[in-house]
Amino acid sequence: MSWETVIGLEVHAQLSTNTKLFSSASTKFGSEPNTQVDLVDLGLPGVLPVVNKDAFKKAIRFGLAIEADINQESTFDRKNYFYPDLPKGYQITQMTKPIVEGGSIDIDVDGDKKTINITRAHLEEDAGKSIHDAYPDKSVIDLNRAGTPLLEIVSEPEISSAKEAVSYMKALHQLVTFLDVCDGDMSQGSLRCDANVSIRKVGDDELGTRTEIKNINSFRFIEKAINFEIKRQIKVLESGEKVTQETRLYDSGKDETRPMRSKEFANDYRYFPDPDLLPVVISDDEMEEIRSTFPELPADKSRRYISEFKIDESEAEIISSSRELSNFFEVAVESKNDPKLAANLIVGEISSLLNKDNIKIDESKLSSDNFNILLQRISDGTISKKIAKTILAEIWETGRNADEIINDQGLVQIQDENLLEEVITKVIESNTKQVEDYKNGKDKLFGFFVGQVMKETQGKANPKAVNDLLKKALNS
Amino acid sequence: MDNKTVETISYLARLKIDKDKKEKITKDLENIIDFVAELQDLNTEDIVPLSNPLEKVAPKREDSVASRNRKEAFLSNSPESDQDYFMVPKVVE
Repeated sequence: MSWETVIGLEVHAQLSTNTKLFSSASTKFGSEPNTQVDLVDLGLPGVLPVVNKDAFKKAIRFGLAIEADINQESTFDRKNYFYPDLPKGYQITQMTKPIVEGGSIDIDVDGDKKTINITRAHLEEDAGKSIHDAYPDKSVIDLNRAGTPLLEIVSEPEISSAKEAVSYMKALHQLVTFLDVCDGDMSQGSLRCDANVSIRKVGDDELGTRTEIKNINSFRFIEKAINFEIKRQIKVLESGEKVTQETRLYDSGKDETRPMRSKEFANDYRYFPDPDLLPVVISDDEMEEIRSTFPELPADKSRRYISEFKIDESEAEIISSSRELSNFFEVAVESKNDPKLAANLIVGEISSLLNKDNIKIDESKLSSDNFNILLQRISDGTISKKIAKTILAEIWETGRNADEIINDQGLVQIQDENLLEEVITKVIESNTKQVEDYKNGKDKLFGFFVGQVMKETQGKANPKAVNDLLKKALNS
Repeated sequence: MDNKTVETISYLARLKIDKDKKEKITKDLENIIDFVAELQDLNTEDIVPLSNPLEKVAPKREDSVASRNRKEAFLSNSPESDQDYFMVPKVVE
């Protein structure tokens, strides 16, 4: 029997605001526990929540980017449940009138394009953090995160494989980081995903019973968790049993999903309009301001790089796909460096160093200033591109100034024709057989001679000069 | 409204209801619902739901930190805490 998978994703993006959704406490990650807590976050009696302007700005910016409808009047509701990391006993969210409705996100799975429709994106507050392993018989609570603004982005159930789910998450990640809506740091929980997964027979109209996998926080785990769940559900159905609607957790250590302890009662959140909060109205002027400060998105960047800087399409795409890389590239170009050279090094050597260490460019020891120096030294002929790679590797380890490395290690390019001619003569004399073959028409050997000269000069010879002089010497 | 529903909603609200009062509370709640149910007879087709009785809109706040660290005061105000955290009975999923 063949089965098809239906997946809908609920993604929580922590908005990169300075303060919380309803209080002026800081949202900084990694601070000492319970130091970023306000009376409002504690839910003390008599306090009133006041909405954060920037949280709305960021949510609207996301809505505009996915071409959604923006509700210029939106409201807040209370979602009621008891858990110690939720001091008020309810979460403030947008159930009836969310800020963003509709819109879509384009994904690309191995070259196949597909559009995933978005149901809605609404603002809500995050809960605090419970820690269960600090004491044998107690749980402890850190409320620094309580009240941090989240944008919950809900997709239609239009995703049909784990791979598509990953592509969707990656597209979303790229979008929210470029829009400066969310820092996208999944390891810190800035972007987390709940996956609703169900299976049905191919051709069935009705959806199968779904399970929800909670809080998946890496691209790799999304793929693994969903694939495990698909296999599990197929096994259940093929053995003639029924899938139970439940919430499951993915255990990356065991690579399996398992049910969370089921509650005695089904979730019943008893939503109702929050009487503490008036409707939030975004004026046309405010909308205009948000539109006018809309950042350039990857596709536009890529087109601009190609037309303005004449760099290769493939390089433009790679650079523009990452906010950090494109910033790095743009700083280099603004400092009057050769865009092609900058692009070439970023896509080649620098990207491979980044991949090796699995870091972002702004986490590396290579500063924009130092990259400028390096680019200038290549352009003014002080060093060859080949040597630049050696210098990059050194900067990567130590962060030292490029000029210092060039001077200390004597890496200045050899341009001196007399010196180069000497080396070339030596190479020709010690490779008489190859010279004969070359003269008899084996043109490919030219590269061999270039290689020998480079070897003799430890890669410091100016390649163009070597080419010219070698040709002259061999053809004489 | 029946006993079962009263038990469910009192559990959800974490309210403990004495056994001998359950009958009375069920009846009271039933009366309240009957009273409010009169609204069902009205035609509300073209009426936009009222989200707040005040005809005002929410003020918005600039996104700048204006809250100081009052950790010690907050922790000492709670029934149980250690140096860094609020402490609660063990809750594990």
